[in-house]
Amino acid sequence: MGEAHAYDVLVVGGGATGAGVLRDLARRGLRTLLVERGDYGSGTTGRYHGLLHSGGRYVAKDALAARECIAENRILRRIAPASIEDTGGYFVATPDDPDDYVDGFQAACIAADVDCEEIPVVEALRREPALNPGIRRVFKLPDGSVEPWQLIESNIADARAHGSDAWSYQRLVGMERDGDRIVAAMLRDERSGSLTRVTPRFVISCAGAWAGQIAAMVNVTVTMHPGKGTMLIFNQRMTDTVINRCHKSSDGDIMVPVHTVAILGTTEQRVEDPDQYEITRDEVAALIRQGEKLFPDLGNMRLLRAYAGVRPLYQPPAEVTAAAMKDGRQISRAHTVLDHGAMDGVENFVTIVGGKLTTFRRMAEDTVDMVCAKLGVTEPCTTADAILPNQVPGKTYWLGHRLADHEAEGGGDAGLLCECEFVTRPMLDDFLDRHPGCSLDDMRRGTRLGMGPCQGGFCTFRAAGVLAERAGHAGVADVAELADRAILGFLRERFKGTRPIAAGRQLQEQWMISGVYEGGLGVESLIEHETPEASREVVGAQR
Amino acid sequence: MPSADVVVIGAGLAGLTAAIAAAESGARVHVLAKGHAATHWGPGGIDVAGIPAASTPRDGIRRLAGQPGHPYAFLGDDVAAALEWIRPHLAAGGLEYVGDLDTPLQLVPTSIGGTRRAAILPAGQAAALSPWAAGERLVICGIAGFKDFWPEAIAASLSRERIWEGGNRPASVIPVSVALPGLAARHNLNALEIARRFDDPAWRATAIEAMARAIASVPGSGGRVALPAVLGIREHAAVLVAVQQRLPAAPFEMPLVPPSVPGMRLYAALRAALIRAGGRVQIGEMIERVEHDGRLVTAVVSAAAARTFTVRTGALVLATGGIAGGGLVAERDGRLREPILGLPVEAPPADDWLSVDAFDPAGHPLEKAGIRTDAELRPVGADGASLFDNVRVAGSLLAGERYIRERCGDGVALTSGWRAARSLSAVPAGHAAEPGSERP
Repeated sequence: MGEAHAYDVLVVGGGATGAGVLRDLARRGLRTLLVERGDYGSGTTGRYHGLLHSGGRYVAKDALAARECIAENRILRRIAPASIEDTGGYFVATPDDPDDYVDGFQAACIAADVDCEEIPVVEALRREPALNPGIRRVFKLPDGSVEPWQLIESNIADARAHGSDAWSYQRLVGMERDGDRIVAAMLRDERSGSLTRVTPRFVISCAGAWAGQIAAMVNVTVTMHPGKGTMLIFNQRMTDTVINRCHKSSDGDIMVPVHTVAILGTTEQRVEDPDQYEITRDEVAALIRQGEKLFPDLGNMRLLRAYAGVRPLYQPPAEVTAAAMKDGRQISRAHTVLDHGAMDGVENFVTIVGGKLTTFRRMAEDTVDMVCAKLGVTEPCTTADAILPNQVPGKTYWLGHRLADHEAEGGGDAGLLCECEFVTRPMLDDFLDRHPGCSLDDMRRGTRLGMGPCQGGFCTFRAAGVLAERAGHAGVADVAELADRAILGFLRERFKGTRPIAAGRQLQEQWMISGVYEGGLGVESLIEHETPEASREVVGAQR
Repeated sequence: MPSADVVVIGAGLAGLTAAIAAAESGARVHVLAKGHAATHWGPGGIDVAGIPAASTPRDGIRRLAGQPGHPYAFLGDDVAAALEWIRPHLAAGGLEYVGDLDTPLQLVPTSIGGTRRAAILPAGQAAALSPWAAGERLVICGIAGFKDFWPEAIAASLSRERIWEGGNRPASVIPVSVALPGLAARHNLNALEIARRFDDPAWRATAIEAMARAIASVPGSGGRVALPAVLGIREHAAVLVAVQQRLPAAPFEMPLVPPSVPGMRLYAALRAALIRAGGRVQIGEMIERVEHDGRLVTAVVSAAAARTFTVRTGALVLATGGIAGGGLVAERDGRLREPILGLPVEAPPADDWLSVDAFDPAGHPLEKAGIRTDAELRPVGADGASLFDNVRVAGSLLAGERYIRERCGDGVALTSGWRAARSLSAVPAGHAAEPGSERP
């Protein structure tokens, strides 16, 4: 173990919240380190449906959450347009949705400052012909879809530009407490196993559903109620608009178009352990039955996979809410900052729990406000005004941009490596040039290679080939191990989340790919059987 | 109304084998298929029993035949006969196959830098079958701009002892890349396009010269050279001879991801054999229904391009494939369905279809799902009694085999197709339709 690394603040957890907290702290002049046990966004952030909330889902039951959503929706469109597809959203009343909810919906939106316009049903059906023709009313709201990994990456990039650091694959394995303070944190490199000691002045846990495990390291109890939400990915965008059912939100009532696919969400089920849960065939069937109320033909569309995320649900004890109210802070029901100084006698430790991706920046602001007050830092929050790196103001993501960009440059033979997501050899080379030493997951998220309808079946070994070719030219020694990891990793990743949906065309395609790689190409000969990775059950797949 | 003695549904190895064998014995044969089959994505060899424990295909058959419910239990003794019967048919189509049931199973290198067990391969791949001599090199020769063959990755991977299970392997594996005429500026080439270029004698002469120069520039001499499987499609035999004569190392093709050129050659050779034997084949026919009269199938109705097509028939061979081919359809509610005749399917419960690990060495339980038959390949019900007198099931639709992991799919397809035809020709003559007759 080398010398201890001193930082002002240690942020635990590399999801959207952690990245937002890191950025906010860095911009206020606090030198901060973020640590993440896996890849960035590999927890709940990378396992949600991709919805940028307008707030419409909450107007009836939680107006404060709705207000927060629409405020943050407007801010994110300004500061992170490249991570947002401006799909717009329809709230549609199906024949099954009660009139009283539908009748009061627009007024509730207006009361919560959420833009809402009723449009004729025929207009909605013209734009989205796969919708249930029996829908009775349609409201148009500013929902959208978010690319969470890109959002995390740009927050981290901004933090780095302001002198802070972020390390992935560094698991927090312990913290040393001296009286009322945390004095050191111990990290284990998940790839090499080496240990690193960090001595922060303050620790912020952004571990979400895992917050209880982090707090327990310093004998603090945070009781989380991880809530599993299951989602289904379809191989096509049957809608270009986010579709919500206009009713009290429930299972299987939202469809979000994300890049070349669409995601049906979601369910709500308590789980004991956020790392151990299963998706059952019954759950999948129930989701599809609900989804058919929006899209009658859904049962015949090809499913790519099922995956689940665990919501960081937390019910604050009454005395915490009272304490927060007493010091004049408005505490949202959507998220809570736990001050372990006031609650548990650990002065330099807070945990942020609850919340949702749309409001991650606001959650970060509330958390950092509290921490700055404790550290005597008076710099104001600037994250709502400063545009994130690599953005063109007002220019949101557009699905056709890759082809359009290619044609603008003269078109022609593009050297396509991934046909589904339009990833060309120059694009992959450019990404690898800019991210030396990146992981394969980074590559997949950064370029979307392998994330389309074929789920990596045909581009997998091409990516491995490119990596090997580049590594060979650069004199890297373990080219073959790199290529193995690319091929096996991709194939394992695409297999994940297919057990509960094994049926129809999807299973047929899976069998064919398996025949190609295992029967014809001998992929199993690449497996090193002593690696535990091969046999480890990985519970939820990422999107 | 057209009529046939035997209708075969499915145009893969099993279906075409059954059709050729039936046509040879004098039956009027009609093959109907919705599309091309596993030939188009397979490596084009004849995998009989490439399991790790087996020393030869014959040994593999014996081991698999000992598994409860494996089709080799009743087909195993006929594999040799079926193989020797098909060999001249393929040779007549320009495809010589090397190896037999007693050829040692060898680890042959693949285009993702792995190895697979094989013993019976087309001549274009056969140079991979002999053991590596001391000091022998392997050159991996890629084509610049071709995105389905990466020589650096293949060479780096094959340089590792563990890929060869610690056994016999080349002393060195060296990558090289060659720009072929007119292709250097192209990046979206697929294997079939390049194979068609090789069919052109003038182009291939220049291309083979360029390959020879590139291989000669690699240190060392002799040994073998692995090439992507693109060496011609119609003119493959001629291309192979030219490559063998000109290259300074013994060449062999490595099969690629689909579209598989060696697989398409195999399909073409089988189809040609069927046509020579007087059979017919129609691709693009979706089967709508099969008519039957009690225990006898009487007609097959298919739908294509805005019309239905009915063939009256004296017998039916069902060679529609397993899950990949659509011979078995997995429903969301966890049922497995055989969509043509609605035959009972032997399958594990839906929650156990797939193992947790994608590459579970024990395989996925669903792989063994299929149609149970008697020794004559007649589909049977739960009580073991056959359901139709004039129906035979062949190929990967059969229950009890794991055609991918046991690398037995080609052997089972070939032997069951051959046996199905022979079994039908033994059906009493009264069952075969007379031309123009209304009913068998």
